[in-house]
Amino acid sequence: MESCGRSATPPGLEGVALCRRCPVGSNSAIPPGHHSQDLQASLQRPEIKLESLKEDIKEYFKISGWEKKLQNAVYSELSVFPSPSHPAAPPEHLKEPLVYMRKAQGSWEKRILKSLNSMCTELSIPLARKRPVGEQKELLNKWNEMGTDEPDLSLFRPVYAPKDFLEVLINLRNPNYENGDSLSFRTHLGLIQVPLKVKDIPELKEFFVELGLTTGQLGIDDSTQVPPELFENEHVRIGQKVLAEQDSAAAQQYIRQGSPTALRAELWALILNISSQPEDILYYEQLKTNVIQHDLLVDSLIYKDVKLTASNDDYYFVFEDYLYQVLLCFSRDTSVLGHFAYNSASPPKSYIRGKLGLEEYAVFYPPNGVIPFHGFSMYVAPLCFLYHEPSKLYQIFREMYVRFFFRLHSISSHPSGIVSLCLLFETLLQTYLPQLFYHLREIGAQPLRISFKWMVRAFSGYLATDQLLLLWDRILGYNSLEILAVLAAAVFAFRAVNLMEVTSLAAAEAVLADLSTLKVMPLLQIFLFATVT
Amino acid sequence: MSRVSVPCHVKGTVALQVGDVRTSQGRPGVLVIDVTFPSVAPFELQEIMFKNYYTAFLSIRVRQHTSMHTPAKWVTCLRDYCLMPDPHSEEGAQEYVSLFKHQSPSMTFPKWLSHPVPCEQPVPLLEGLPDPSRVSSEVQQMWALTEMIRASHTSTRIGRFDVDGCYDLNLLSYT
Repeated sequence: MESCGRSATPPGLEGVALCRRCPVGSNSAIPPGHHSQDLQASLQRPEIKLESLKEDIKEYFKISGWEKKLQNAVYSELSVFPSPSHPAAPPEHLKEPLVYMRKAQGSWEKRILKSLNSMCTELSIPLARKRPVGEQKELLNKWNEMGTDEPDLSLFRPVYAPKDFLEVLINLRNPNYENGDSLSFRTHLGLIQVPLKVKDIPELKEFFVELGLTTGQLGIDDSTQVPPELFENEHVRIGQKVLAEQDSAAAQQYIRQGSPTALRAELWALILNISSQPEDILYYEQLKTNVIQHDLLVDSLIYKDVKLTASNDDYYFVFEDYLYQVLLCFSRDTSVLGHFAYNSASPPKSYIRGKLGLEEYAVFYPPNGVIPFHGFSMYVAPLCFLYHEPSKLYQIFREMYVRFFFRLHSISSHPSGIVSLCLLFETLLQTYLPQLFYHLREIGAQPLRISFKWMVRAFSGYLATDQLLLLWDRILGYNSLEILAVLAAAVFAFRAVNLMEVTSLAAAEAVLADLSTLKVMPLLQIFLFATVT
Repeated sequence: MSRVSVPCHVKGTVALQVGDVRTSQGRPGVLVIDVTFPSVAPFELQEIMFKNYYTAFLSIRVRQHTSMHTPAKWVTCLRDYCLMPDPHSEEGAQEYVSLFKHQSPSMTFPKWLSHPVPCEQPVPLLEGLPDPSRVSSEVQQMWALTEMIRASHTSTRIGRFDVDGCYDLNLLSYT
């Protein structure tokens, strides 16, 4: 690069060294990943002209790949954060606009905190303690095989199970909604009694238009009887093109028709805007160091959860060690605190021992503000099929949690929140399978009592893994969890004949106990697009 | 032009009932809220801001004094403005709302809700070269921003959860 004298700098231009005007040369491709210094250096080259500066910068972005990265980052922000609200709205309004829901979430949280505190005092175990050096070394040595440890977890109990949470949701009431205490035509037939707006089937058909009968789907049109030339080959080719373009929005649109197995890991990373930079790997290593240094009470809860759920699952037990690594690091990750801006929940607070009430000694517990419940590890387990590098697996799980999974265990009015999903499920069943709904109610088998656990876990552990991944493709593609409620209703519709014959809740549970043989896409398609209404 | 909030007195709601019959069962669907501006000189109202609580439709009527000689009359500024798209569900039920004067239909424009502020004319672009000082300041702003982002990058990334290396905690706090 020839040195440029500043003698010809136009007046008023400081900080940018421009000199002779030369025709703009097209630069050789500047590899992406350059920092702003390189941008500065590039703009000091003699080829840059003042009048085309704006265009040159835009061109630089395009050539270097930064334009795409910026677009993906903006798209990611738009997908995650709620739209800007009224300037007078306080922060809690952004978390949850309805006051009674905020209060209900607050009460629920208080119950959880009390439960954790009493576990602490009963077992005389501190919430957190610094590990002695010897213990740190030991843990570091067996970091990759924590599953072989068999600590005595008999005294620990999960802080709550999904069915405890369901009871809270059933008791949610809008104080301004009068529908009487006694059963009348105005009380809801189902368990959820709050009047949230949910989509009906015509609206769902419009929302999920790509799942229609005339559109090719992975999970249907790639079955062995269908010649791959009809759909699968072309779909794979388009998928490869989408990956080559590195366009998040295009990937999200594409994945509505399902992802080819070979492309899924990359596609999910693209949609979630995750790229493993060196600083991400460093960050994960830092989290690992935090785990080594401090022992938390929630660690025991995580151990217990993994042992009770994933370790007992035929598909997931092989990933046991990965699950400990990811979940223990997750608990230490303070960047997760950011999602509480749009989550109705709030992180639990504590004080350094002896400094109760002094704000400069206030901390969050656990550091990421998320207390795991029974089944939490099942959010991570399916991802282990896609990602084998721990820091990448970690990043993907964290992003999935702050985009989607948190909504499944907090009380909010959001359309993808668990309350809306429950109401959507019940409404779909009542509207389109009224006889079945009535029958199940009569025998004391409220359908939501059976389907709730499926939705809270996003069907993880209930469906076969290939089917689960096809379902999660659509969660990403539509940026919504509503498909969980639709699938739950579709499952009931599929087994309606058997369910009409049962006469007890236990028998109904038995009919719906095993979902491992179900094919999700045909069920969804039939329920939405092929059921006579 | 700076904006200030105008002190107002909001009276309690009055239910509109048909005739004189007071029924305990029938719930009137229309409530009236009187808002007065005591001891305030005539002003140009720009914006009305409030938080909704389960009102589906809003109408606003104003009584304006035009001159000393004509009696004051009531004018409808807004009729059946929809706050809740589905009154039977929670959408919009507790939202913050702003109503601006340009939302009133112009034919019933009361005098004090008068001429909207003219939009600023865009600065005519000089033909040929852009203004160097403007480019310079824009570019400087860009560099300053990137420097700021780079500087804050490292400090927020690896967040500490402890206080000076200590994470020895009491119990969880309920407040």
